Amino acid sequence: MSLPGLQLSASDEPVLSAVVHHLTEGSEWRFEVAFGSTVEIKLLSGNAELFGTELAQKQTYSFSGTKAAIYTWHGCTIEVAGECQVEYLAEETPMISYANLHFALERKRDEAVSTGQDGPRVLVLGPEDAGKTSLVKLLTAYATRSGRQPVTVNLDPKEGILSVPGSLSAVTFSSILDVEEGWGSSPVNGPSPIPVMLPLVYYYGQANPDSGDRIYKPIVTRLAVAVLSKLQDDRHVGSSGCLIDTPGAISQGKGGYDIIQHIVSEFSVNVLVVVGSERLYSDMLRRFNGQPIGIGETTTVIKLDRSGGSVDRDEDFLRRSRKAQFLRYFYGDPKMELHPRTTECDFSHVTIYRVPNTTSDFLASLLPGGEAEDDAATQRLIYEKVVPSPQMQNGILAVVQADGNDTPEHIRDASVIGFVQITEVDEKRKKLRILPPIGLQLPRRALIWGSWPSDLGELVR
Amino acid sequence: MSVAHNSDQVVEDYKSSLLDLTQNNKHEINLLTVIASEYIGKAVELSRVLETHIRNVPPDRKLPAFYVLDSIAKNVGGAYTRCLGQNLYHTFMNAYASVQAPIRKKLDEMVKTWKEPVPGSTDMRPVFPVEITRPIETNLIKFRTLAFQAAQQQQRQQGPPMSHMMSQPYAAAAPPSEWQNTATPPQSNGYYPPPNTQGYPQPNGVPQRSSYPSNNQFPHPQPTPPNFQPPYQPPNPNTYPYQPPPMQDLNALHRDIENLISTTKLEFAARHWDTGLQTKLKALLDLQSIMRNQQLPPNQIQAIRDQVSQLAQTQPPATPTPGMPPSSMLPPNPVPTPTAFAFYAPPSSTSQPPADIQRLLDSNALAEILASAARAKQSTPVQSAAPSIPPPTNPPPVTSLPQPDRTSTPSSNTTSLLANLKALGMLMPDTSTPNGAMPTSQPSSGFPLSHHNYSNTPPMRSSHLARPPLQEIRNDVELNNSSLKIPRPDLVKAKLFDARPNQCSTCAQRFEATEEGKKKKARHLDWHFRTNRRLAESAGAQHNRDWYVDEREWIKSRDNHDEDPDAADGAGSVQAKAAAEAAKNDPKNKFVIAPDDAALRNVPCPICHEKFELSWDDAAQNFVWRDAIDVGSKVYWHASCHAEVKKDRANTPMRTATPDSVLGKRKAGMSDLNAVPLKVPRSPALSSASMVSVAASTV
Repeated sequence: MSLPGLQLSASDEPVLSAVVHHLTEGSEWRFEVAFGSTVEIKLLSGNAELFGTELAQKQTYSFSGTKAAIYTWHGCTIEVAGECQVEYLAEETPMISYANLHFALERKRDEAVSTGQDGPRVLVLGPEDAGKTSLVKLLTAYATRSGRQPVTVNLDPKEGILSVPGSLSAVTFSSILDVEEGWGSSPVNGPSPIPVMLPLVYYYGQANPDSGDRIYKPIVTRLAVAVLSKLQDDRHVGSSGCLIDTPGAISQGKGGYDIIQHIVSEFSVNVLVVVGSERLYSDMLRRFNGQPIGIGETTTVIKLDRSGGSVDRDEDFLRRSRKAQFLRYFYGDPKMELHPRTTECDFSHVTIYRVPNTTSDFLASLLPGGEAEDDAATQRLIYEKVVPSPQMQNGILAVVQADGNDTPEHIRDASVIGFVQITEVDEKRKKLRILPPIGLQLPRRALIWGSWPSDLGELVR
Repeated sequence: MSVAHNSDQVVEDYKSSLLDLTQNNKHEINLLTVIASEYIGKAVELSRVLETHIRNVPPDRKLPAFYVLDSIAKNVGGAYTRCLGQNLYHTFMNAYASVQAPIRKKLDEMVKTWKEPVPGSTDMRPVFPVEITRPIETNLIKFRTLAFQAAQQQQRQQGPPMSHMMSQPYAAAAPPSEWQNTATPPQSNGYYPPPNTQGYPQPNGVPQRSSYPSNNQFPHPQPTPPNFQPPYQPPNPNTYPYQPPPMQDLNALHRDIENLISTTKLEFAARHWDTGLQTKLKALLDLQSIMRNQQLPPNQIQAIRDQVSQLAQTQPPATPTPGMPPSSMLPPNPVPTPTAFAFYAPPSSTSQPPADIQRLLDSNALAEILASAARAKQSTPVQSAAPSIPPPTNPPPVTSLPQPDRTSTPSSNTTSLLANLKALGMLMPDTSTPNGAMPTSQPSSGFPLSHHNYSNTPPMRSSHLARPPLQEIRNDVELNNSSLKIPRPDLVKAKLFDARPNQCSTCAQRFEATEEGKKKKARHLDWHFRTNRRLAESAGAQHNRDWYVDEREWIKSRDNHDEDPDAADGAGSVQAKAAAEAAKNDPKNKFVIAPDDAALRNVPCPICHEKFELSWDDAAQNFVWRDAIDVGSKVYWHASCHAEVKKDRANTPMRTATPDSVLGKRKAGMSDLNAVPLKVPRSPALSSASMVSVAASTV
C-alpha cells in the first residue's frame, strides 16, 4: 500500500542503526535532534509519552530540530534510529507534581461540570526556557486524554501555537496532539493524517510584549474576549477551561508584572502556576494569591519545579526553529505537503501597515516614568502605513480581517486570516511578488508588516 | 506518526474493527466491506484476518463475521473471492459445526446464494466457484444426515425427544453390550430392536413397528429443511430391518469395527504422537477393507469378532456406562436403563452437539469418516450406512458428555483432547451454554485475547478490572504546593490509563471501555480509514493551507470529529456541515469552461473587476473559470458576485459597493455566511452578540 507522503518516510533512506533503550518506571529519555538530521523513534513495549501525548506502539515517529523527552509512567522499551545531538536517561523528573497539577485541575473541571461554571483558567508563568510551553502542552494533552476540550492560549509571540512566531493564538484541543509536530496543524484544504485544529490568530509582529497599551495588551484583551466567549458558547469547552502560555519576558520585571496583571484580569485567571522561579513565585503569591476573581472564586498561586530536561535554546536553534515553523505554515510537513505558489500584485492592491520596532520602547518602559506617554502619541504610534519597498523583501505580512481603510485600532484588533511572504519588490513596475498560503490572489485586506522575525530569508521552494 | 497506516496497521485495525462486530449490524458490515475494498491490495492478509476472526470468535458472533465475508465476496470480489475461497471449506465447516441450529439455517441460506451470481450483477459467475461450494454443500448434506440419524437414535433411545437435530449423536453408543451383542443375534430379543437395526424406525414415513416401545414419543423434532433429500437417508439397517441372522451378524461386526476405528481415530486425533494408536488404527482400517471386499468364511469372521470384542473391551471409552454390567451376556439392550438414561440426558441438549461435532470436524475424524463413507458407498452401498453414523455408535471420549461423574479414564481423555484442541486453537467455547464439562477453561481458551490491539488492555478484562478501582481511587489532589508533591501512582494509572483502556493502535488515542467508548473508537477508526482513503485518492493533488477562521466562526466551531462522523475531517462540525450544505448550491462550485479567446480571458468580472481564476478541472477535462457563470452573450460574472447582486436586489435596494473578492467567495463556500454580506466587521465589538455580552462582563 502506498499512501501519499509516506513515500518520503525513512523506508527508502539507508537504514539507520537502531538502538534500543529500556526506560524504567517514572524515568525519561531526553534527546535533542539537530535541524537537518532525523531521528526515528518507535515504542516497542510499555507505554511512553511525549509531553503527555502517548506514543502508539510499533509506530515510527520521526523528529528533526527537536529538544524533547519521552517519559514513561510504567516503563517502556523504545527503539531509536538516527543520531541525536544529546541523549540521556533521566531518573529525576517533576512529572509527579505536573500530573498532580493536572488532577487538581480535573477536580476543578468536575466541579465546573456540576455547577455550570467555567473550568479553571490557568496561567503558566516562568523565566525563558523554564519549560512553560512544555508544561502547557502536557496539561493540554492530559486534559484531552481525560476527555476534556481545553482552550490553549499562546501569549508568547516567540512560540506560535498552530501558527507562526510573531502571532498570538488560541486553539481548542479535542483530540490527541501531534507527537512529531508538537501541537498539530491548522486546517488545510485537503485530508490531513492528524485531526486539524482550528486556531484563532492575532498578529503581534514583535518578539517581546511592549509595555504600553499600544498593541500587546489590546490583543490580549481581544483574545481573552474570544476565549471567554468560547467557554460560554460551548459548555464542554467551558468546563474544561483554558491553559495560557506566556512569554518569559513578562516574568522578568516590573513592566512585565503589569502585563501579568492584565492577563490575569482579562482571562479571569484563577490558577497561577509559576515554573522554576522562587522569586517570581513569591512576587506572584503576594500579588495574586487569594485575590477574588468573579463570585466566590479566588486565584491560587502554586509553584512547580523546572524540569531538568528544559534546556536553554540558543539563538541559532531558535532561528531555525522559527523558520521551520514558517515553512510548515506554507509547505506543510512530510505527512501533508502543501503547494503554495507565488503570485504578483500591484502596489495599489495592497495597504501595508508597519509595526514599529519597539524593543527599545520596552526597555525604556522598565525605566522609571517609561510608561508616561500621552494617549494621542500612543494612538498615533500603533502602526504606520508604508508603501512597498525593497526592505520588505522576505518580510512577513499578516492578512487581517480588516479593511485597509480601517482605523489602526481596528486593524490591530482584527484576527489574522493568514500570512504571506513578500518574495520580490519591483519598484519600477510597482509590482510585488508574494507567496500566499492558498490561491493566487491576495485578499483585499489590511496587511501588517511585522518587525519580527526579520531573519527568515527566502521561504519559497 | 510518519507511517499512518503501514500494512500491519491496516491489518491490525481491521482485526480490531472485526472484534467490535458483535451482532448483525448492517452499517458495520458495510463499513468493513468498504474498508476491504479500499485495501484490496491487502486481500490476502485481510482474508486471513477474517478467517482467523471467524475461527476465533464465540459461536454467537460467527454469523455477523460470515456476513462480512459474504458481503466482501459479493461486493468486492476479485482477489477476495480467491483468497477467501481458498480456505472457505474449513472456515465454513468449522463455524457451521460450532453454531446452533438457527444460525446453521442462515449459513445454509448463505451457501445457497454463493452458488448463484451476485444479484443484479452482469457477471453470471457464481459468487464462489462451484469447486468451492460443492464440497461444502456435499458436506452439509452429510452433516444433516448425521444429525438426522443422531436425532432419531436419540429419540428412540431416550424416549423423550431431546429436541435437537444435533442432540447427542453419541447417545446410541451407550450400552457396552453393543460390543457383546454381536455374539447374540438381535432377533433373539423380539421386543427391543438391536442396535444395529436401530435406524429403521425412521420417522420419515417408514412405518413403525408397533412393538417399538417409544414410537408414540416421536414428535419429529427434525429441523432438517423439509426440502432436504438426504441421499444417504435410508441407511442400510433401515433398508434391511429383517435380515437373516448371519447377515445381521456380519453387519454388526462391520459396525463394531467401524466403531473401533472411529474411536481410535478420535483417540489418535487427541494423541497423534502415539504410534501404538497409529498401528492399531491402521490394523483396524485394513481389517475393515478386508471385511468389505472379501467374503470371509464364518470361522474367520468369528475370529475377527472375538478379537474385535476384545479390543472393544480394552478400549477405555468403550465402557462409559457404569450402570451396565460390562460382561453381561444378556441380549443386547439398547433401551437405556434408568441409570443410563440419566447418564445420557444432557443438561442442556443444545449445548452439547456443537462441541461434539466441532470436535469431530476439528480432529478431521469426520472428514475421514465421511471420506471413507464415500468410498464405502462406491464399493458396497450396503455398507454406507455404517460409516455415516459413527458418532451415534461412537463412545464419546471427549467433551461431549455433560456429566462430570463419568469414569475417570474418559474424562482424562477429555482433558487431554481438550487441551490439545485448545492448543491448536480449534476448540471454541460455546459461551452461551453452561457446559458442565469445561466451564472454567472456556473463556480463556477461546476468546481471542491474543489480539494485538488489545494485548495491553484486553477489553473484557479491563472493563471489569478497571472499573471498581476507578471508583475507589479518589482524586484527592489539592491545589497547593505540598499536595502536588505527593506521588499518586494509583491515581495516575486509574485516570490516565485505566479509565480509557481502549487505545487506537495508530495514534494512541484512548477510549473508554464502555459502549459509548467503543462507538467512539469505531468512529475514530473510521476517521483514520477515511482520511487514508482521501490521502490515497488525493495523492499528487496540490493542497494548501487554509485561511484562518474569524472570531465568530472560531467561537461557533465544534471540535468533535470523533462524535460526528460527518465532520470528521473538518476542523469543526458546524463548519463542515455548513460547508457540505453550502457546497451544494455554492456559487463557487459553478464554473464555466474558460473561453479560448485571449481577449475574453482577460476581461474581469464586471461586478468586482477582478479577473477569473483559471484552473484545470478534471471532470470537465478542460480549463475552467471557477466561481463563474455565463450571464449571456459571452459576458461572465463571478457566480458569487452574481448571487450577491441577486440577493441584494431581492433584499435591499442598496447593495454593498464592493463584494469581497477571494476571501469572500471562499467564505461563501465555507459556511452559510454568504447570507451575510461578507464584509469585514466594522466595529471592534464584531457581530457576535455573545462576544459583546462577554466583553461587557469581563472588561
